[in-house]
Amino acid sequence: NYLRISPFSSFLFSLAPWIPVVGLEIHAQISSNSKLFSGSQVQFAAPPNSLVSFFDASLPGTLPVLNRRCVEAAVMTGLALNCSINKKSLFDRKHYFYADLPAGYQITQQRVPIAVNGSLSYSLCIDNKMSQMVTKTVRIKQIQLEQDSGKSLHDDTRCQTLVDLNRAGVGLMEVVMEPDMCCGEEAAAAVRELQLILQTLGSSQAVMAEGQLRVDANVSVHHPGEPYGVRTEVKNINSIRFLAKAVDYEIQRQIEELENGGTILNETRAFDSKLGCTVPMRDKEGKQDYRFMPEPNLPPLILYDTKSLPANVNHQQVINIDWIQERLPDLPSVKREKLVEQYGILPEHSFTLLNEDGLAEFFESVVKQTQMKPKKVIGWILNDLLSYLKQHSLTVKERSV
Amino acid sequence: MRALSFVRWLRAGRVPPRGPESRHSGDSGHSGHRHSGDSGHRVYSEYRYSEYRPQDPPQQKVSVEVLDHLEHLALVDFRDSEGVERLQKAIQFADQLHEVNTDGVEPMDSVLEDRCLYLREDDVTEGNCTKELLENAREKVEEYFVAPPGNIPLPKLEERETFLQGSK
Repeated sequence: NYLRISPFSSFLFSLAPWIPVVGLEIHAQISSNSKLFSGSQVQFAAPPNSLVSFFDASLPGTLPVLNRRCVEAAVMTGLALNCSINKKSLFDRKHYFYADLPAGYQITQQRVPIAVNGSLSYSLCIDNKMSQMVTKTVRIKQIQLEQDSGKSLHDDTRCQTLVDLNRAGVGLMEVVMEPDMCCGEEAAAAVRELQLILQTLGSSQAVMAEGQLRVDANVSVHHPGEPYGVRTEVKNINSIRFLAKAVDYEIQRQIEELENGGTILNETRAFDSKLGCTVPMRDKEGKQDYRFMPEPNLPPLILYDTKSLPANVNHQQVINIDWIQERLPDLPSVKREKLVEQYGILPEHSFTLLNEDGLAEFFESVVKQTQMKPKKVIGWILNDLLSYLKQHSLTVKERSV
Repeated sequence: MRALSFVRWLRAGRVPPRGPESRHSGDSGHSGHRHSGDSGHRVYSEYRYSEYRPQDPPQQKVSVEVLDHLEHLALVDFRDSEGVERLQKAIQFADQLHEVNTDGVEPMDSVLEDRCLYLREDDVTEGNCTKELLENAREKVEEYFVAPPGNIPLPKLEERETFLQGSK
Protein backbone atom coordinates (compact mmCIF):
# COMPACT_ATOMS: atom_id res chain seq x y z
CA ASN A 1 0.00 0.00 0.00
CA TYR A 2 2.96 2.34 -0.01
CA LEU A 3 3.16 4.98 -2.69
CA ARG A 4 6.46 5.30 -4.41
CA ILE A 5 7.54 8.90 -4.02
CA SER A 6 10.87 10.10 -5.26
CA PRO A 7 13.10 11.68 -2.62
CA PHE A 8 12.74 15.08 -4.29
CA SER A 9 8.95 15.15 -4.33
CA SER A 10 8.75 13.76 -0.82
CA PHE A 11 10.98 16.63 0.23
CA LEU A 12 8.54 19.07 -1.36
CA PHE A 13 5.60 17.14 0.09
CA SER A 14 6.88 17.52 3.61
CA LEU A 15 7.40 21.25 3.19
CA ALA A 16 3.66 21.85 2.68
CA PRO A 17 1.99 22.66 5.97
CA TRP A 18 -0.42 20.18 7.52
CA ILE A 19 -3.76 21.22 8.94
CA PRO A 20 -4.87 18.89 11.71
CA VAL A 21 -8.61 18.56 12.21
CA VAL A 22 -10.03 17.39 15.53
CA GLY A 23 -13.66 16.62 16.35
CA LEU A 24 -14.96 15.20 19.62
CA GLU A 25 -17.77 12.90 20.70
CA ILE A 26 -18.37 13.24 24.40
CA HIS A 27 -20.57 11.01 26.53
CA ALA A 28 -21.62 12.55 29.83
CA GLN A 29 -23.43 10.41 32.38
CA ILE A 30 -26.55 12.19 33.58
CA SER A 31 -26.61 12.91 37.28
CA SER A 32 -29.89 11.31 38.34
CA ASN A 33 -31.17 8.93 41.01
CA SER A 34 -32.50 6.36 38.59
CA LYS A 35 -31.77 5.26 35.05
CA LEU A 36 -32.99 6.67 31.76
CA PHE A 37 -35.73 4.14 31.09
CA SER A 38 -36.05 2.22 34.35
CA GLY A 39 -36.26 2.72 38.09
CA SER A 40 -33.02 1.06 39.12
CA GLN A 41 -30.45 3.15 40.92
CA VAL A 42 -27.53 5.00 39.40
CA GLN A 43 -24.47 4.54 41.58
CA PHE A 44 -20.76 4.04 41.05
CA ALA A 45 -19.13 0.97 42.58
CA ALA A 46 -21.97 -1.17 43.89
CA PRO A 47 -22.05 -4.98 44.16
CA PRO A 48 -22.19 -6.44 40.65
CA ASN A 49 -25.66 -6.71 39.11
CA SER A 50 -27.36 -5.27 42.20
CA LEU A 51 -28.61 -2.12 40.47
CA VAL A 52 -30.27 -3.92 37.59
CA SER A 53 -33.98 -4.05 36.83
CA PHE A 54 -35.66 -6.60 34.58
CA PHE A 55 -35.74 -4.01 31.80
CA ASP A 56 -32.00 -3.32 32.13
CA ALA A 57 -31.37 -7.05 31.81
CA SER A 58 -33.58 -7.04 28.71
CA LEU A 59 -35.94 -9.69 30.01
CA PRO A 60 -38.93 -10.21 27.72
CA GLY A 61 -42.10 -8.28 28.51
CA THR A 62 -40.35 -5.17 29.83
CA LEU A 63 -40.75 -1.70 28.37
CA PRO A 64 -38.83 1.59 28.58
CA VAL A 65 -40.33 4.39 30.70
CA LEU A 66 -38.63 7.77 30.25
CA ASN A 67 -37.14 9.50 33.30
CA ARG A 68 -38.22 13.15 33.48
CA ARG A 69 -35.05 14.27 35.25
CA CYS A 70 -32.90 13.00 32.37
CA VAL A 71 -34.87 15.05 29.87
CA GLU A 72 -34.50 18.15 32.05
CA ALA A 73 -30.75 17.57 32.30
CA ALA A 74 -30.46 17.37 28.51
CA VAL A 75 -32.55 20.52 28.02
CA MET A 76 -30.45 22.44 30.58
CA THR A 77 -27.26 21.36 28.87
CA GLY A 78 -28.62 22.25 25.44
CA LEU A 79 -29.63 25.71 26.63
CA ALA A 80 -26.26 26.28 28.30
CA LEU A 81 -24.55 25.39 25.02
CA ASN A 82 -26.72 27.80 23.00
CA CYS A 83 -28.50 25.01 21.19
CA SER A 84 -31.92 25.00 19.58
CA ILE A 85 -34.06 22.63 21.59
CA ASN A 86 -36.14 20.38 19.36
CA LYS A 87 -39.68 20.53 20.65
CA LYS A 88 -40.25 17.14 19.08
CA SER A 89 -37.47 14.58 19.25
CA LEU A 90 -37.50 10.87 18.52
CA PHE A 91 -35.95 7.71 19.92
CA ASP A 92 -34.28 5.04 17.79
CA ARG A 93 -32.64 1.66 18.18
CA LYS A 94 -28.98 1.18 17.27
CA HIS A 95 -28.28 -2.53 16.83
CA TYR A 96 -25.00 -4.30 17.55
CA PHE A 97 -23.98 -7.42 19.43
CA TYR A 98 -21.90 -7.23 22.59
CA ALA A 99 -22.10 -9.04 25.91
CA ASP A 100 -22.67 -5.84 27.88
CA LEU A 101 -25.65 -4.85 25.71
CA PRO A 102 -28.23 -7.49 26.64
CA ALA A 103 -30.99 -6.18 24.36
CA GLY A 104 -28.72 -6.28 21.30
CA TYR A 105 -29.55 -2.63 20.67
CA GLN A 106 -29.09 0.72 22.36
CA ILE A 107 -31.95 3.22 22.56
CA THR A 108 -30.59 6.51 21.26
CA GLN A 109 -31.70 9.55 19.24
CA GLN A 110 -30.24 9.21 15.80
CA ARG A 111 -32.83 10.92 13.58
CA VAL A 112 -34.01 13.88 15.61
CA PRO A 113 -32.01 14.54 18.81
CA ILE A 114 -33.18 16.74 21.65
CA ALA A 115 -30.84 19.68 20.90
CA VAL A 116 -28.89 20.90 17.86
CA ASN A 117 -26.67 23.68 16.56
CA GLY A 118 -25.03 25.12 19.61
CA SER A 119 -21.62 26.52 20.49
CA LEU A 120 -19.08 26.35 23.26
CA SER A 121 -16.55 29.09 23.96
CA TYR A 122 -13.31 28.21 25.68
CA SER A 123 -10.04 29.98 26.37
CA LEU A 124 -6.42 29.12 25.78
CA CYS A 125 -3.21 30.66 27.03
CA ILE A 126 -1.03 31.81 24.19
CA ASP A 127 2.12 31.48 26.23
CA ASN A 128 3.13 29.40 29.21
CA LYS A 129 2.85 32.18 31.73
CA MET A 130 -0.91 32.48 31.36
CA SER A 131 -0.63 36.15 30.70
CA GLN A 132 -2.41 36.19 27.38
CA MET A 133 -5.60 34.35 26.78
CA VAL A 134 -7.45 33.87 23.55
CA THR A 135 -11.08 32.81 23.21
CA LYS A 136 -12.09 30.14 20.74
CA THR A 137 -15.41 28.63 19.81
CA VAL A 138 -16.37 25.12 18.82
CA ARG A 139 -19.73 24.37 17.25
CA ILE A 140 -21.95 21.81 18.93
CA LYS A 141 -23.59 19.66 16.30
CA GLN A 142 -26.12 18.03 18.59
CA ILE A 143 -26.93 16.62 22.00
CA GLN A 144 -28.79 13.34 22.21
CA LEU A 145 -30.16 11.18 25.00
CA GLU A 146 -29.05 7.57 25.01
CA GLN A 147 -28.53 4.52 27.20
CA ASP A 148 -25.20 3.50 28.64
CA SER A 149 -24.08 -0.12 28.27
CA GLY A 150 -23.00 -2.46 31.04
CA LYS A 151 -19.39 -3.10 31.95
CA SER A 152 -17.20 -5.90 30.67
CA LEU A 153 -14.29 -7.15 32.73
CA HIS A 154 -11.90 -9.13 30.61
CA ASP A 155 -10.47 -12.18 32.29
CA ASP A 156 -7.78 -13.20 29.84
CA THR A 157 -6.41 -16.00 32.02
CA ARG A 158 -9.67 -17.88 31.90
CA CYS A 159 -10.52 -16.66 28.42
CA GLN A 160 -13.83 -15.14 29.43
CA THR A 161 -15.55 -11.83 30.03
CA LEU A 162 -17.40 -11.00 33.23
CA VAL A 163 -20.42 -8.76 32.71
CA ASP A 164 -21.83 -6.32 35.26
CA LEU A 165 -25.05 -4.61 34.16
CA ASN A 166 -25.18 -1.98 36.92
CA ARG A 167 -24.29 0.67 34.37
CA ALA A 168 -26.61 -0.68 31.67
CA GLY A 169 -29.39 1.79 31.01
CA VAL A 170 -27.88 4.76 32.85
CA GLY A 171 -28.78 7.98 31.02
CA LEU A 172 -26.13 9.59 28.85
CA MET A 173 -25.98 12.88 26.98
CA GLU A 174 -23.87 12.54 23.88
CA VAL A 175 -22.43 15.91 22.93
CA VAL A 176 -21.08 15.99 19.40
CA MET A 177 -18.56 18.74 18.66
CA GLU A 178 -17.83 19.70 15.08
CA PRO A 179 -14.22 19.32 13.88
CA ASP A 180 -13.34 22.93 14.68
CA MET A 181 -10.30 22.18 16.79
CA CYS A 182 -6.76 21.74 15.56
CA CYS A 183 -4.64 20.33 18.37
CA GLY A 184 -4.61 18.55 21.71
CA GLU A 185 -4.53 21.77 23.71
CA GLU A 186 -7.72 23.05 22.09
CA ALA A 187 -9.49 19.75 22.57
CA ALA A 188 -8.47 19.63 26.22
CA ALA A 189 -9.54 23.23 26.87
CA ALA A 190 -12.92 22.66 25.20
CA VAL A 191 -13.58 19.52 27.22
CA ARG A 192 -12.47 21.21 30.43
CA GLU A 193 -14.92 24.06 29.84
CA LEU A 194 -17.71 21.59 29.03
CA GLN A 195 -16.89 19.73 32.22
CA LEU A 196 -17.17 22.93 34.27
CA ILE A 197 -20.47 23.80 32.60
CA LEU A 198 -21.94 20.37 33.30
CA GLN A 199 -20.82 20.51 36.91
CA THR A 200 -22.25 24.01 37.34
CA LEU A 201 -25.59 22.92 35.88
CA GLY A 202 -25.54 19.72 37.89
CA SER A 203 -26.68 17.79 34.82
CA SER A 204 -23.58 15.60 35.11
CA GLN A 205 -20.83 15.32 37.70
CA ALA A 206 -18.53 14.78 34.72
CA VAL A 207 -15.73 13.06 36.66
CA MET A 208 -13.60 11.39 33.98
CA ALA A 209 -11.94 9.06 36.44
CA GLU A 210 -15.30 7.52 37.31
CA GLY A 211 -16.33 7.20 33.71
CA GLN A 212 -18.94 9.95 34.00
CA LEU A 213 -17.31 11.81 31.14
CA ARG A 214 -15.92 9.85 28.20
CA VAL A 215 -14.28 11.44 25.21
CA ASP A 216 -13.60 9.99 21.76
CA ALA A 217 -11.49 12.08 19.40
CA ASN A 218 -11.75 12.05 15.60
CA VAL A 219 -8.45 13.13 14.08
CA SER A 220 -7.31 13.75 10.51
CA VAL A 221 -4.78 15.91 8.69
CA HIS A 222 -4.76 17.53 5.26
CA HIS A 223 -2.91 20.15 3.23
CA PRO A 224 -4.49 23.57 2.89
CA GLY A 225 -6.86 23.74 -0.04
CA GLU A 226 -7.26 19.98 -0.20
CA PRO A 227 -10.19 17.95 1.07
CA TYR A 228 -10.15 16.56 4.62
CA GLY A 229 -7.98 13.51 5.09
CA VAL A 230 -9.06 10.08 6.31
CA ARG A 231 -9.92 10.28 9.98
CA THR A 232 -9.21 7.87 12.80
CA GLU A 233 -11.20 7.56 15.97
CA VAL A 234 -9.23 7.52 19.22
CA LYS A 235 -10.80 5.92 22.28
CA ASN A 236 -9.82 4.91 25.82
CA ILE A 237 -8.83 8.43 26.90
CA ASN A 238 -9.14 8.62 30.66
CA SER A 239 -8.22 12.18 31.57
CA ILE A 240 -8.07 15.65 30.06
CA ARG A 241 -4.30 15.56 30.14
CA PHE A 242 -4.29 12.27 28.22
CA LEU A 243 -6.77 13.72 25.75
CA ALA A 244 -4.26 16.39 24.75
CA LYS A 245 -1.47 13.81 24.53
CA ALA A 246 -3.55 11.34 22.53
CA VAL A 247 -4.69 13.94 20.01
CA ASP A 248 -1.21 15.38 19.53
CA TYR A 249 0.33 11.93 19.20
CA GLU A 250 -2.25 10.88 16.61
CA ILE A 251 -1.74 14.08 14.60
CA GLN A 252 1.99 13.49 14.60
CA ARG A 253 1.60 9.83 13.72
CA GLN A 254 -0.63 10.64 10.76
CA ILE A 255 1.73 13.33 9.47
CA GLU A 256 4.72 11.02 9.70
CA GLU A 257 2.82 8.18 8.07
CA LEU A 258 1.73 10.38 5.16
CA GLU A 259 5.13 12.01 4.74
CA ASN A 260 6.68 8.57 4.49
CA GLY A 261 4.33 7.74 1.65
CA GLY A 262 1.91 5.67 3.70
CA THR A 263 -1.86 5.95 4.00
CA ILE A 264 -4.18 6.47 6.95
CA LEU A 265 -6.77 3.77 7.58
CA ASN A 266 -10.25 4.76 8.71
CA GLU A 267 -9.92 2.80 11.93
CA THR A 268 -10.49 2.97 15.65
CA ARG A 269 -7.39 3.32 17.79
CA ALA A 270 -6.94 3.10 21.53
CA PHE A 271 -4.74 5.45 23.50
CA ASP A 272 -2.15 3.62 25.58
CA SER A 273 -1.41 5.99 28.44
CA LYS A 274 1.65 4.05 29.60
CA LEU A 275 3.34 4.20 26.23
CA GLY A 276 1.85 7.58 25.31
CA CYS A 277 0.78 6.40 21.88
CA THR A 278 -2.26 5.18 19.97
CA VAL A 279 -2.57 1.57 18.87
CA PRO A 280 -5.11 -0.04 16.55
CA MET A 281 -7.99 -1.52 18.50
CA ARG A 282 -8.80 -5.19 18.07
CA ASP A 283 -10.73 -5.18 14.79
CA LYS A 284 -14.18 -6.32 15.79
CA GLU A 285 -16.25 -6.89 12.70
CA GLY A 286 -15.13 -4.40 10.14
CA LYS A 287 -17.52 -1.60 9.36
CA GLN A 288 -20.62 -1.82 11.52
CA ASP A 289 -24.13 -1.65 10.12
CA TYR A 290 -26.24 -0.46 13.01
CA ARG A 291 -29.58 -0.96 11.26
CA PHE A 292 -31.17 2.09 12.88
CA MET A 293 -34.91 1.84 13.31
CA PRO A 294 -37.45 3.91 15.25
CA GLU A 295 -37.98 2.72 18.84
CA PRO A 296 -41.51 1.37 18.54
CA ASN A 297 -42.24 1.50 22.27
CA LEU A 298 -41.73 5.23 22.71
CA PRO A 299 -43.84 7.99 21.19
CA PRO A 300 -42.10 11.25 20.21
CA LEU A 301 -40.79 13.38 23.07
CA ILE A 302 -42.68 16.67 23.04
CA LEU A 303 -41.33 19.69 24.91
CA TYR A 304 -43.14 22.97 25.46
CA ASP A 305 -42.41 26.59 26.10
CA THR A 306 -44.59 29.13 27.85
CA LYS A 307 -46.39 29.98 24.63
CA SER A 308 -47.18 26.45 23.58
CA LEU A 309 -47.91 25.05 27.03
CA PRO A 310 -51.40 23.52 26.93
CA ALA A 311 -53.87 24.68 29.56
CA ASN A 312 -55.22 22.36 32.26
CA VAL A 313 -52.25 20.10 32.06
CA ASN A 314 -50.62 17.84 34.64
CA HIS A 315 -47.41 19.73 35.39
CA GLN A 316 -45.55 16.59 36.18
CA GLN A 317 -46.14 15.37 32.65
CA VAL A 318 -44.88 18.41 30.76
CA ILE A 319 -41.50 20.06 30.44
CA ASN A 320 -41.38 23.82 29.86
CA ILE A 321 -38.15 24.93 28.20
CA ASP A 322 -38.62 28.56 29.27
CA TRP A 323 -39.06 27.52 32.90
CA ILE A 324 -35.74 25.67 32.74
CA GLN A 325 -34.03 28.58 30.98
CA GLU A 326 -35.09 31.01 33.70
CA ARG A 327 -33.61 28.77 36.36
CA LEU A 328 -30.21 28.17 34.78
CA PRO A 329 -27.39 29.08 37.16
CA ASP A 330 -24.55 31.43 36.19
CA LEU A 331 -22.29 29.59 33.79
CA PRO A 332 -18.51 29.59 34.39
CA SER A 333 -17.90 32.34 31.82
CA VAL A 334 -20.42 34.58 33.58
CA LYS A 335 -18.96 33.79 36.99
CA ARG A 336 -15.49 34.73 35.75
CA GLU A 337 -16.71 38.04 34.39
CA LYS A 338 -18.39 38.83 37.69
CA LEU A 339 -15.23 38.05 39.65
CA VAL A 340 -13.15 40.29 37.41
CA GLU A 341 -15.68 43.08 37.66
CA GLN A 342 -16.34 42.82 41.34
CA TYR A 343 -12.81 42.31 42.59
CA GLY A 344 -10.68 43.84 39.86
CA ILE A 345 -8.62 40.71 39.40
CA LEU A 346 -7.04 39.65 36.12
CA PRO A 347 -9.04 37.43 33.72
CA GLU A 348 -6.35 34.73 33.93
CA HIS A 349 -6.82 34.60 37.67
CA SER A 350 -10.56 34.19 37.32
CA PHE A 351 -9.77 31.04 35.33
CA THR A 352 -7.57 29.74 38.11
CA LEU A 353 -10.27 30.42 40.69
CA LEU A 354 -12.85 28.46 38.75
CA ASN A 355 -10.47 25.68 37.90
CA GLU A 356 -10.45 24.26 41.41
CA ASP A 357 -13.69 23.18 42.98
CA GLY A 358 -14.61 25.57 45.77
CA LEU A 359 -11.67 27.93 45.23
CA ALA A 360 -13.75 30.84 44.03
CA GLU A 361 -16.04 30.61 47.05
CA PHE A 362 -13.02 30.34 49.31
CA PHE A 363 -11.47 33.43 47.71
CA GLU A 364 -14.64 35.44 48.19
CA SER A 365 -15.00 34.45 51.81
CA VAL A 366 -11.34 35.33 52.55
CA VAL A 367 -11.77 38.76 50.98
CA LYS A 368 -14.93 39.31 52.94
CA GLN A 369 -13.58 38.18 56.29
CA THR A 370 -10.10 39.66 56.15
CA GLN A 371 -10.95 42.77 54.19
CA MET A 372 -7.64 42.28 52.38
CA LYS A 373 -7.18 43.63 48.88
CA PRO A 374 -8.47 41.03 46.41
CA LYS A 375 -5.26 41.17 44.39
CA LYS A 376 -3.24 40.35 47.45
CA VAL A 377 -5.49 37.41 48.26
CA ILE A 378 -5.02 36.16 44.72
CA GLY A 379 -1.28 36.47 45.13
CA TRP A 380 -1.39 34.42 48.30
CA ILE A 381 -3.61 31.82 46.72
CA LEU A 382 -1.41 31.46 43.66
CA ASN A 383 1.91 31.48 45.46
CA ASP A 384 1.23 29.74 48.72
CA LEU A 385 -2.13 28.06 48.98
CA LEU A 386 -2.21 26.11 45.74
CA SER A 387 1.29 24.73 46.11
CA TYR A 388 0.55 23.80 49.73
CA LEU A 389 -2.56 21.91 48.68
CA LYS A 390 -0.68 20.13 45.93
CA GLN A 391 2.13 19.11 48.25
CA HIS A 392 -0.30 17.58 50.66
CA SER A 393 -2.61 16.27 47.95
CA LEU A 394 -5.60 18.12 49.34
CA THR A 395 -8.46 19.82 47.64
CA VAL A 396 -9.71 23.25 48.62
CA LYS A 397 -12.84 21.74 50.09
CA GLU A 398 -10.88 19.32 52.25
CA ARG A 399 -8.66 22.00 53.72
CA SER A 400 -10.30 23.69 56.64
CA VAL A 401 -9.52 27.35 56.84
CA MET B 1 -58.74 -9.44 4.58
CA ARG B 2 -55.25 -8.55 3.53
CA ALA B 3 -53.79 -9.27 6.98
CA LEU B 4 -55.43 -12.65 7.03
CA SER B 5 -54.14 -13.63 3.62
CA PHE B 6 -50.66 -12.55 4.70
CA VAL B 7 -50.79 -14.88 7.68
CA ARG B 8 -51.94 -17.71 5.45
CA TRP B 9 -48.99 -16.93 3.19
CA LEU B 10 -46.53 -17.17 6.06
CA ARG B 11 -47.81 -20.58 6.96
CA ALA B 12 -47.98 -21.96 3.46
CA GLY B 13 -44.81 -20.30 2.20
CA ARG B 14 -46.62 -19.30 -0.96
CA VAL B 15 -46.90 -16.03 -2.80
CA PRO B 16 -49.94 -14.08 -1.63
CA PRO B 17 -52.74 -13.71 -4.16
CA ARG B 18 -52.23 -10.66 -6.36
CA GLY B 19 -54.58 -8.79 -8.53
CA PRO B 20 -54.58 -9.77 -12.19
CA GLU B 21 -52.17 -8.05 -14.57
CA SER B 22 -55.13 -6.45 -16.19
CA ARG B 23 -55.26 -3.99 -13.33
CA HIS B 24 -53.32 -1.78 -15.66
CA SER B 25 -56.55 -0.91 -17.38
CA GLY B 26 -57.78 2.43 -18.51
CA ASP B 27 -59.66 3.20 -15.30
CA SER B 28 -58.86 6.70 -14.28
CA GLY B 29 -60.10 8.97 -11.61
CA HIS B 30 -61.77 6.51 -9.32
CA SER B 31 -60.92 3.45 -7.36
CA GLY B 32 -63.75 1.72 -9.01
CA HIS B 33 -65.13 -1.76 -8.66
CA ARG B 34 -64.32 -4.53 -10.99
CA HIS B 35 -67.17 -6.04 -12.86
CA SER B 36 -67.59 -9.20 -14.78
CA GLY B 37 -64.87 -11.77 -14.85
CA ASP B 38 -63.21 -10.68 -11.63
CA SER B 39 -65.43 -11.98 -8.90
CA GLY B 40 -62.50 -13.71 -7.29
CA HIS B 41 -60.51 -10.46 -6.98
CA ARG B 42 -63.18 -8.01 -5.98
CA VAL B 43 -61.83 -7.79 -2.45
CA TYR B 44 -58.75 -5.94 -3.76
CA SER B 45 -60.60 -3.32 -5.74
CA GLU B 46 -60.79 -0.94 -2.77
CA TYR B 47 -57.03 -0.84 -2.60
CA ARG B 48 -56.41 0.27 -6.14
CA TYR B 49 -55.12 3.77 -6.72
CA SER B 50 -55.88 4.18 -10.36
CA GLU B 51 -54.26 7.56 -10.86
CA TYR B 52 -50.80 6.34 -9.92
CA ARG B 53 -49.58 3.28 -11.75
CA PRO B 54 -45.87 2.61 -11.56
CA GLN B 55 -44.26 -0.24 -13.42
CA ASP B 56 -44.08 -3.50 -11.53
CA PRO B 57 -40.67 -3.45 -9.85
CA PRO B 58 -38.13 -5.64 -11.66
CA GLN B 59 -37.65 -9.10 -10.20
CA GLN B 60 -34.42 -8.57 -8.29
CA LYS B 61 -32.53 -11.50 -6.96
CA VAL B 62 -30.94 -10.93 -3.59
CA SER B 63 -27.19 -11.24 -4.09
CA VAL B 64 -25.04 -13.67 -2.16
CA GLU B 65 -23.10 -10.74 -0.72
CA VAL B 66 -26.27 -9.31 0.79
CA LEU B 67 -27.31 -12.70 2.15
CA ASP B 68 -23.88 -13.17 3.69
CA HIS B 69 -24.07 -9.66 5.17
CA LEU B 70 -27.49 -10.44 6.64
CA GLU B 71 -26.22 -13.66 8.18
CA HIS B 72 -23.42 -11.72 9.87
CA LEU B 73 -25.62 -8.89 11.07
CA ALA B 74 -28.63 -10.70 12.36
CA LEU B 75 -27.04 -14.10 12.96
CA VAL B 76 -29.77 -15.80 10.95
CA ASP B 77 -29.08 -18.90 8.94
CA PHE B 78 -30.74 -19.14 5.57
CA ARG B 79 -29.89 -22.80 5.62
CA ASP B 80 -31.17 -23.76 2.17
CA SER B 81 -32.60 -22.42 -1.04
CA GLU B 82 -36.14 -22.48 0.34
CA GLY B 83 -35.13 -20.02 3.03
CA VAL B 84 -33.68 -17.69 0.43
CA GLU B 85 -36.76 -18.07 -1.76
CA ARG B 86 -38.93 -17.11 1.15
CA LEU B 87 -36.86 -13.98 1.65
CA GLN B 88 -37.20 -13.11 -2.04
CA LYS B 89 -40.95 -13.52 -1.88
CA ALA B 90 -41.15 -11.44 1.28
CA ILE B 91 -39.32 -8.64 -0.51
CA GLN B 92 -41.62 -8.94 -3.50
CA PHE B 93 -44.63 -8.81 -1.23
CA ALA B 94 -43.35 -5.70 0.51
CA ASP B 95 -42.55 -4.07 -2.84
CA GLN B 96 -46.27 -3.76 -3.43
CA LEU B 97 -46.05 -0.75 -1.15
CA HIS B 98 -44.47 1.12 -4.07
CA GLU B 99 -47.89 1.16 -5.70
CA VAL B 100 -49.12 3.68 -3.16
CA ASN B 101 -48.54 7.33 -3.89
CA THR B 102 -47.05 8.82 -0.73
CA ASP B 103 -46.10 12.25 -2.08
CA GLY B 104 -46.35 14.79 0.72
CA VAL B 105 -47.29 12.21 3.33
CA GLU B 106 -45.21 12.05 6.52
CA PRO B 107 -44.01 8.50 7.22
CA MET B 108 -45.48 6.96 10.33
CA ASP B 109 -43.14 4.89 12.40
CA SER B 110 -45.34 4.07 15.36
CA VAL B 111 -49.04 3.78 16.09
CA LEU B 112 -48.13 5.57 19.32
CA GLU B 113 -47.31 8.81 17.54
CA ASP B 114 -50.30 10.66 18.94
CA ARG B 115 -49.90 9.32 22.44
CA CYS B 116 -48.24 11.31 25.17
CA LEU B 117 -44.85 10.04 26.19
CA TYR B 118 -45.23 9.28 29.88
CA LEU B 119 -42.55 10.91 32.08
CA ARG B 120 -41.52 9.01 35.17
CA GLU B 121 -40.38 10.70 38.39
CA ASP B 122 -36.69 10.20 39.18
CA ASP B 123 -37.21 7.74 42.07
CA VAL B 124 -35.41 4.47 42.70
CA THR B 125 -38.09 1.79 42.51
CA GLU B 126 -36.30 -1.24 41.05
CA GLY B 127 -33.13 -3.26 41.30
CA ASN B 128 -31.71 -5.38 44.11
CA CYS B 129 -32.71 -8.64 42.47
CA THR B 130 -29.28 -10.03 41.69
CA LYS B 131 -30.22 -13.57 42.67
CA GLU B 132 -33.27 -13.64 40.44
CA LEU B 133 -31.38 -12.25 37.47
CA LEU B 134 -28.57 -14.75 37.79
CA GLU B 135 -30.97 -17.68 38.05
CA ASN B 136 -31.20 -17.95 34.28
CA ALA B 137 -27.48 -17.58 33.65
CA ARG B 138 -25.78 -20.73 32.46
CA GLU B 139 -22.48 -19.62 33.91
CA LYS B 140 -21.72 -17.12 36.61
CA VAL B 141 -18.70 -16.04 38.58
CA GLU B 142 -19.32 -14.25 41.88
CA GLU B 143 -22.51 -12.52 40.72
CA TYR B 144 -21.11 -11.58 37.32
CA PHE B 145 -22.54 -12.98 34.12
CA VAL B 146 -19.97 -14.90 32.12
CA ALA B 147 -19.53 -14.27 28.42
CA PRO B 148 -16.95 -15.29 25.81
CA PRO B 149 -13.90 -13.01 25.54
CA GLY B 150 -15.19 -10.41 23.10
CA ASN B 151 -17.29 -10.95 20.03
CA ILE B 152 -16.58 -14.01 17.99
CA PRO B 153 -17.44 -12.87 14.49
CA LEU B 154 -19.11 -15.29 12.12
CA PRO B 155 -16.34 -16.75 9.94
CA LYS B 156 -16.06 -15.40 6.40
CA LEU B 157 -18.24 -16.95 3.74
CA GLU B 158 -15.39 -19.09 2.38
CA GLU B 159 -14.81 -20.59 5.77
CA ARG B 160 -18.40 -21.26 6.74
CA GLU B 161 -20.34 -24.39 6.09
CA THR B 162 -23.28 -22.77 4.44
CA PHE B 163 -25.11 -23.59 1.27
CA LEU B 164 -24.65 -19.95 0.28
CA GLN B 165 -21.14 -20.89 -0.80
CA GLY B 166 -22.46 -23.04 -3.60
CA SER B 167 -24.57 -20.29 -5.05
CA LYS B 168 -21.55 -18.00 -5.65
